[in-house]
Amino acid sequence: MDLSFFTDPFVYPFMSRALITVLVLAVASGVVGLFINLRNLEFISDGLVHAVFPGLVVGFVISGTDGLLPGALIAGVIAAVILTVVSRRGVGSDAAIAVVLAGSFSLGIVIVSRETNYVSQLEQLLFGGVLTVTESQLWQIIVVGALAVLMVGLTWRRQLYLSFDPSGFRASGYRTLPTELLFNCAIAFLVVAGSQALGNLLVLALLIVPAAIARLVSKRIGWLVPIATIAAALSGWLGLVTSFHTSVSAGLTPSPGSLIVIILIALYALTLLAHIVVSRLIVPRRALPQLSGGA
Amino acid sequence: MSTASAAIELKNASFSYGGAPQLSDVTVTIKKGDAVALIGPNGSGKSTFLKGVLGLVDLAGGHLSVLGGSPRDALSRVGYLSQLTEVDREFPVSLRQVVMMGRYRSLGLMRWPSRRDKKLVADALDKVGLTEQAEKPFGELSGGQQQRGLLARALTVEPQLLLLDEPFNGLDQANRTALLQTLNMLRTEGVTIVTSTHDLQLARDVCNRVMLLNHTLIAYGPVEETLRISLVEKTFEHSIAHVGNHAVVPAAHEHDHDHDHE
Repeated sequence: MDLSFFTDPFVYPFMSRALITVLVLAVASGVVGLFINLRNLEFISDGLVHAVFPGLVVGFVISGTDGLLPGALIAGVIAAVILTVVSRRGVGSDAAIAVVLAGSFSLGIVIVSRETNYVSQLEQLLFGGVLTVTESQLWQIIVVGALAVLMVGLTWRRQLYLSFDPSGFRASGYRTLPTELLFNCAIAFLVVAGSQALGNLLVLALLIVPAAIARLVSKRIGWLVPIATIAAALSGWLGLVTSFHTSVSAGLTPSPGSLIVIILIALYALTLLAHIVVSRLIVPRRALPQLSGGA
Repeated sequence: MSTASAAIELKNASFSYGGAPQLSDVTVTIKKGDAVALIGPNGSGKSTFLKGVLGLVDLAGGHLSVLGGSPRDALSRVGYLSQLTEVDREFPVSLRQVVMMGRYRSLGLMRWPSRRDKKLVADALDKVGLTEQAEKPFGELSGGQQQRGLLARALTVEPQLLLLDEPFNGLDQANRTALLQTLNMLRTEGVTIVTSTHDLQLARDVCNRVMLLNHTLIAYGPVEETLRISLVEKTFEHSIAHVGNHAVVPAAHEHDHDHDHE
């Protein structure tokens, strides 16, 4: 089989930078996304994604694309601290997250609307520009993504124990606050790294979908990170290839970020379908009495 | 003020989550090697007592010593069995990985499990009778096996004191028997056991002491002497049934397991 269709686009430097970007993000999302999934932190992640937006905007207004990363990092860490404290209170935390989410997002829009070419800036921030990632941006993404992975990797056992059994975790003498804070910062870092490539809206898919795919495929923790990483990397690669060929041969200019996310979602749908089929075929007799008796 | 023979010593102790004390004015000494059943209605402070001994609930007044020191100092020698309702039962790890979590605290961030860690895990699995299930995903075990797995995790710290929160909730007869055997074996090894329960039969089968709680200490003493109907009635504020000479306490309402009372 001739693979040149899938490999040729990457002879262009902007395409190979885009590919490295999505591969870095795939690894980071495999590691960080796993614990978002295990701890059901999807909504907090959504809050963090939107809280990073005004940071991106302020950074951009101050010093253009070079300001995106520092602005986003500052906003992300502040939001991670606030959301950690708020979510520990339990009651009403969903409302608080929703307030942070809507408030910071609208703040970002207000600030960006002061810019003269407001619409194109907004589009860039919301939907990203994986094809326009510069070499210095790529290095930033690699460093920030690696930091997110390190934060989780170095505290892997704590994250695992806390996700499984919070009261057992505390009874072993661990304190939850540092572990939660570090993890929410890791999410924020991944959001920052991903926002530059996929945009602030689509990065959420990267946080959640690869891990969800992995959970459908395996019940072994050791497999989940590789599966999620491969799912994200595959989607990234196919998305870039599709985007390249549609624009070269068909003259269309689909946002590569959106294509990556659509392929990721399609992969999830296929995996879900396969999961349903397999679980019906393999364990029909075991599942049926549970279904009728459990309700 | 603590004596060498005391596992847990409380003097006028009160515990609070920040507001009004959940449990107040408790004075009791649990001796090393004792097995104590904590009995009381829902919300009477049984879990608070256990969490207080772990140092997870603040001491709002009085004095508490655990294994001769503060709760935090004692933690490395204390095993705790969480309620099954508090853990993620579909968590994608094997039973052996769950049990190894008990070693995480001494493993720290990076150290790889040593031969000794692995042996402690294997021994703990053996003690609860789940060696053959060790590599199975935790989510594929029955509720009773999961509960015994969590007990194995608590045993990996080689506890001198074992705290259990409603360990028999929702267990079928086979798992109940297996868990009883493990607890009796631990008793013969000299482990001090404190378990909350609404199952008076458990108190008779494993424990030599009963503590009746209802926001404060109602009574503490030998099993039959303490499980007198008058005292149990006082603890449950008359909401109990009588079966012969035995009092039957109402089942916990939040857990609708009707098969753990025969």
